[in-house]
Amino acid sequence: MSEHPIRLVVGDDLQRRRLTVFFRLLLAIPHYIWAALWTIVAFLAAVMNWLATLVLGRSPTFLHRFLAAYVKYVTQLSAYLYLIADAYPAFDGQAGYPIDVTIAPPSRQRRWRVLLRLPLALPAILIGETLFGNSWGFRRKQSLAPGSLLSIAAFLAWFACLIRGRMPRGLRDTGAYSLSYNAQLWAYLLLLTESYPDSDPLAALQDLPDEDAPIHLRGADDLRRSRLTVLFRLPLSVPHLIWLTLWGILALLAAILSWIVSLILGRSPSWLHRFLAAYVRYKISVYAYLYIVANPFPGFAGKAGGYPLDTVIAERRQQRRWTVLLRLLLALPALAIYSAYSSLNLLLAILGWCAALILGRIPGGLRNAGALALRYSAQTHGYLLLLTDAYPYSGPCESDRPV
Amino acid sequence: MSGRWAAAAGPARWARLAAVAVLALAWAWAAHALWRSTVPTSLPAPRIDPSTLFGASYLRRSASYEEFLDIDQLLGQLTLLAVLAVYAIRGHRLMRESAAGRIGTGMLLGMLGFAIVWIAQIPFGLAAVWWERRHGVSHQGYIASVVEGFVGLGGRFVFICFALLVAMGLAGLLRRWWWIVAAPLFAGLALLSTYLSIYLVPNTQPLRDPQTRAELRTLASREGLHHIHAVVQNVSRFTTAPNAESVGFGATRRVILWNTLLDGRFDSHEVEVVIGHELGHLAHNHPLKRVGWLLLFLLPAAGIVAVFTRRRGGLGRPEAVPIALLVFVLLQFLASPLMNEVYRREEAEADWSALRATHDPSAARSLFVKLARTSLADPDPPTWSFLLYDDHPTIVQRIAMVDAWQQRAAQNG
Repeated sequence: MSEHPIRLVVGDDLQRRRLTVFFRLLLAIPHYIWAALWTIVAFLAAVMNWLATLVLGRSPTFLHRFLAAYVKYVTQLSAYLYLIADAYPAFDGQAGYPIDVTIAPPSRQRRWRVLLRLPLALPAILIGETLFGNSWGFRRKQSLAPGSLLSIAAFLAWFACLIRGRMPRGLRDTGAYSLSYNAQLWAYLLLLTESYPDSDPLAALQDLPDEDAPIHLRGADDLRRSRLTVLFRLPLSVPHLIWLTLWGILALLAAILSWIVSLILGRSPSWLHRFLAAYVRYKISVYAYLYIVANPFPGFAGKAGGYPLDTVIAERRQQRRWTVLLRLLLALPALAIYSAYSSLNLLLAILGWCAALILGRIPGGLRNAGALALRYSAQTHGYLLLLTDAYPYSGPCESDRPV
Repeated sequence: MSGRWAAAAGPARWARLAAVAVLALAWAWAAHALWRSTVPTSLPAPRIDPSTLFGASYLRRSASYEEFLDIDQLLGQLTLLAVLAVYAIRGHRLMRESAAGRIGTGMLLGMLGFAIVWIAQIPFGLAAVWWERRHGVSHQGYIASVVEGFVGLGGRFVFICFALLVAMGLAGLLRRWWWIVAAPLFAGLALLSTYLSIYLVPNTQPLRDPQTRAELRTLASREGLHHIHAVVQNVSRFTTAPNAESVGFGATRRVILWNTLLDGRFDSHEVEVVIGHELGHLAHNHPLKRVGWLLLFLLPAAGIVAVFTRRRGGLGRPEAVPIALLVFVLLQFLASPLMNEVYRREEAEADWSALRATHDPSAARSLFVKLARTSLADPDPPTWSFLLYDDHPTIVQRIAMVDAWQQRAAQNG
């Protein structure tokens, strides 16, 4: 697969200075003014670039260079604002910033794609809105999450950085993924490239960690989707959703029981662990099916290894009692990220539904982004239901890669 | 030949034959019991000329209206059977779309069968909507009708999944004899559903009009019924056609009146006849009798399904589900003239009850004429459509019954 011409380069070492983190929004005030001025000029340049590319079939070099610098600058400023990077950014988008963007030189573009750039970009704009929140006006009315994935990650990171003086890698990579997509979206909108933004989190970052999480997804997928089952995916899932709701009621009672026992014994009873693990596996397989992340109709029992996108849940282990006692409180940040990922997944499902119906396959980017959101959901549920005390990891990692 | 047969016919075979004979006798006895009606068999059947009740132009219009819908429905049913026949041959290939095990895969195949049927039926559904809109009987939108059908698939899928869960689960346990347990079990579930059906009817509210409520109480006491309530169902978003129904048994018995019946087109006497008719259903336990008829249909039907699915390993195997769907739907289609005859008999009994309770033949006569006019019903439809689709007596037959009741009342003083 060819590499996307717009790539995010991450050179950040995760260290954060508490003082600049605390005043981050205020420190960026000069950049707000500069960015506003640059945006006005960039808008005019974008219109000129559109006309020129329509006529010439290629973006003129000087306009390409100017708009590329603008995209780099905005990305660097966003990285600073959202705590993805720590260094104060330059005002000209120069290379070498810890979170940087490489943009390929201008190349030929098909004129019809240039002409229709804005309507073609609509799905990507919607994804960008959920990941980054460009304030296009969709979010406030339509999203269930309180903010974009990036803004929620940044909000949580602000506290984490102030306490630890260090950015958690999961939050940093979540933000970097959002920034990468946003940079590709703006490059596409400003006609710097013809390549469509890639929502694949596994392609967004070069260096993914090998997370050995006790809860993760494992699966193979040829991306083929049956058009018939895709068309009827929602009604076909209704029996599963009813069964899931009934099972959910029992799981809630089991979780309360597990909480009490775990507080006393330090770990949940084996039969409760098995029951709740089966519930989490079942839930993930139902949503994988509903959201077109996987193709086959899932079973009703939540059996381990019974689904192509299988939720692997480790055996029960001893858990620290204080984390058990405060589990609900401790899970609140994870639930905030989970809500953003759920919004993303719903949107990806709608787009994936349309794509799979037309193509008979789901684009890999949509599938992998959906799988990441589901993996995070599995980890959050596992953490809440006391299947593990390992905190959910929000960023993409190597184990997310389909086999 | 007879020697070979005798050799093969061991005690087990005789026992099986005897069991079948007992079952057949029990079936016939039950059918006879359910068939009984309080409508006198000696009623004279005066011949009524529809043109004396309806103008020639109405008769032409209603005949053309119903003819189109009947042909549309027939074509839709034939398409359904053709689609299911193809699905029975090729549907098992869709098993690769499932990772759900034996029963889960069967459920998927069952749901996909109905999904394909739904797609195949869209043109016929849209044609019917177009025709009804053209004649002012319905004002449902085309897109709304498709979307509602799609959304409704969810409920249908839940039903088919549950039915297959029971049938395939039993087939896994009892092998060839699953149907003997499954048929009474389904009838039991139908009984439960009949009992709870009032809670499943959407958009209802209690009947508030004091006069209609008083009429309901009076008629109910004449029919020997007590503590019967009526509710009004709001259907005017979908149709202008008037209707009413009776549901439940025991504590959940209810009369449901469509709000299109109470919109001023029918006077209080006519509404009284409708209520009397619905109370007649309840007084003669028709909701329960329908469950009985369902059991009588399901027993042989499930047995036939069991026989036809043996080639694919029996209904315990998911690949047998498409065949089971075809056989079951085909049996339903073939049995529909018989079932319609049963329903028409019940409707006639309810009409007779209404006449006895209201003593108002002129209101009954004008009601039937108005019912025909508002739903553009053909008062005297062709025999084929009457046998296949009509679960009520024709308007001409109903008015003839009113005349017969009047004559009988006059003779009895």
